Amino acid sequence: MIFYRGTCYENKEQSRLLGTLRNDCFRTLNQSPPLSRETVIRACDFLYRKVCDHAFDDIVLPLLRVVDLSYERFLEMGKLFSREGLEAKCRMELGENAEDRRLPSGTLCRRVPLGILFHIAAGNVDALPAYSVVEGLLAGNVNILKLPTGDSGVSVRLLSELVKAEPALAEYIYVFDVPSTETEMLKTFADIADAVVVWGGDAAVQAARTLCDVKTEIIAWGHKLSFAYAAADATDADLTALAEHVCATNQVLCSSCQGIFVDTDDMETVSAFAKRFYHILSDVNRRVGFADVGMRGKNSIRIYNDLLENPNQTVYYGNGVSVRVGEDSRLELSYLFRDVWVKPLKRTEIVPALKEHKAHLQTCGLLCGKDDRPILAERLLRAGVTRVTGGDLSRMFVGEAHDGFYPLARYSRIAEIDP
Amino acid sequence: MKYANKLFRTRKKDLYSGNSDRLFFLAMRENCIFQYDRCPDYKRLLDAKGFDPRRDLNSFDDLAGIPFLPTLYFKRHDLRANRRSLVQATSSGTSGGNKSRVGFSVSDLWRMWQMVKRVCSYHRLWSLKPTHYVVFGFEPNRSNKTAIARTSFGATLFSPALSRTYALRWRNGAYRLDLEAVKQKLIRYSKSKFPVRTIGFPAYTYFLLKEMKDAGIALQMPKGSLVTLGGGWKQFYAEKVSKEDFYRLVYEVLGIDDRHIVEFFGAVEHPILYTDCRCHHFHIPAYGRVIIRDPDTLQPVGNDRMGLINLLTPAVSVMPLLSVTTDDLGMVHTEPCPCGEPSPWLEIFGRVGIRDVVTCAQGASEFLKGAGDVK
Repeated sequence: MIFYRGTCYENKEQSRLLGTLRNDCFRTLNQSPPLSRETVIRACDFLYRKVCDHAFDDIVLPLLRVVDLSYERFLEMGKLFSREGLEAKCRMELGENAEDRRLPSGTLCRRVPLGILFHIAAGNVDALPAYSVVEGLLAGNVNILKLPTGDSGVSVRLLSELVKAEPALAEYIYVFDVPSTETEMLKTFADIADAVVVWGGDAAVQAARTLCDVKTEIIAWGHKLSFAYAAADATDADLTALAEHVCATNQVLCSSCQGIFVDTDDMETVSAFAKRFYHILSDVNRRVGFADVGMRGKNSIRIYNDLLENPNQTVYYGNGVSVRVGEDSRLELSYLFRDVWVKPLKRTEIVPALKEHKAHLQTCGLLCGKDDRPILAERLLRAGVTRVTGGDLSRMFVGEAHDGFYPLARYSRIAEIDP
Repeated sequence: MKYANKLFRTRKKDLYSGNSDRLFFLAMRENCIFQYDRCPDYKRLLDAKGFDPRRDLNSFDDLAGIPFLPTLYFKRHDLRANRRSLVQATSSGTSGGNKSRVGFSVSDLWRMWQMVKRVCSYHRLWSLKPTHYVVFGFEPNRSNKTAIARTSFGATLFSPALSRTYALRWRNGAYRLDLEAVKQKLIRYSKSKFPVRTIGFPAYTYFLLKEMKDAGIALQMPKGSLVTLGGGWKQFYAEKVSKEDFYRLVYEVLGIDDRHIVEFFGAVEHPILYTDCRCHHFHIPAYGRVIIRDPDTLQPVGNDRMGLINLLTPAVSVMPLLSVTTDDLGMVHTEPCPCGEPSPWLEIFGRVGIRDVVTCAQGASEFLKGAGDVK
């Protein structure tokens, strides 16, 4: 399915449309009035209200089942698309440059779009491709979107509803269903674009780099790892909040906690901490209900295998959760689905231990006393962490940064026009 | 391997009769003691679990107590007794470090041949009629040692091959998916008087047929044509395509009804040929047994309940493959099957949502998806 200037086409029209894409994009930049943020906000708000009125339950409900999200939580997240949510986002991300500003010298400072964005979206969250385009629109750009393979059609549906609400958006949205293997075609998109926005792991980002020549900027929203950092005497309340977060996200988000570093170099303290956390995690898990049976089975087998390989390893497991004690201080992915590692990391070692993962750090749930908080937070930030939270590492709020950056600011630039 | 040899000479009519427990037990005990005595790594594992095969294996029911090895273990450890003089195979993990290294001796292969001969004869897969083969899999290549590439080539020897067409063709040092060529060949063969057999992953078969259906193609393959499948249905569960829908699609596009669709199941770490009956159930043959284990405690849960699949066979002498566990979920059904065979049958469920464990089918799906989409 292709969505081109507000009309859906069959894939067989691809080469014809590809032939006209460059001129059509340039025509918009050349002739059309700038896309006003208000138009985009109005369209999104209209769509948000329709969603609240259950007009899209046919696509929303299956989606929620897949990601295991409640309708209430979904509506909460949906608020990010309401007028209030988007206006707050723009204020937060664009700051004082949201509107034109006249300097005392008479020079006009204006936030202008980069021009044309080519989005390479990831397939793991269904509505993400559409969300990426909405951000591009808010910054005023023309957007070319490559759908992830196996896309369910949700993105095109959402984007076509936006165009229906505000026909002026039509010439700002182009969606193609091109496989990632068609590199020549992708190179054409990248060549037309001013910047390529890529979502995905290191491999996806690396692949995007090969598509672009030096003139095309790459904006990468990559894979991230998150973890907790705890004082050995972290409170039960803090650890319970962390356990709830682990169960609620199943550790599949970039912001999900994979493991806990304990501020010590004494292995007995680490083991005691792991045991305490196992009991808390196990209780929370029983309360909220077990993870999918397939994932539990996979983890049981992995732990059985670990113990075959190294019978002396300390692992607390059972009741659908596991807490593994590690002796090194390496940040790594857990087995996911309620498996957490616990490792020693003295506060003086935070920067050297974490710097190795510089491009991959995201959130740290900091569980410690009030007095220690500022100094530990500062050290984590210097190591490259972009968010320091409490036990709920995946908390969201309107206008929060993507991995340390404001997308709207990255999708636009500041222009200065002398009188 | 006296008992194993005897077991693998089970007569065709007794393949699924389900009355070989005693012989199976003796062959397993023989194999376990053999491995324990000659494979130091295996002895160490059993000793660590406090298991002594001479002392602890006294009846069929004791087989569940043999410490099983996860397939993951074979991916990280090479337990082959003799690494040079063996026939080697690897599982199809797509990243180099994640392949199981498995080897078979000449006598192991002889047993397997006895098995293949009988199973395929039972299911009437041998034919003297010249056949066009369409393989929805890898074209043979010297650098590709995956078992699936070898077995899919082997499967083209069931009858004299007039032609072999591969969906994954080796070009310029890499495999490329060429669905268009396959499509054209199938259209041509539908007008031939010789039957066609397709071989390969359900995923490729499915996507190709769907594409043909979308293009309005409805063919009638010559009489005697077969669709054979192997490599797993896992991604179908994610796509919510039922087997019934799949069979209907095959019929609509190729004119082959579901009695001529045969599915195989097996693994490098468990080289037993499971073949579905006319009701599309994988009856457990005399050569193997299946224990279903609790996903949390790994204890046996009995039949007719879902759990992790633990596969047992005494087929292999050169390495301890006698009891292996995958992270697939499954169930052993004991209710009577309309096909009339008394042995219980194994149903395999998908590993829905798991991305980091690459199976044959998932590795294949990478070719369909291309790189760069997975966040």
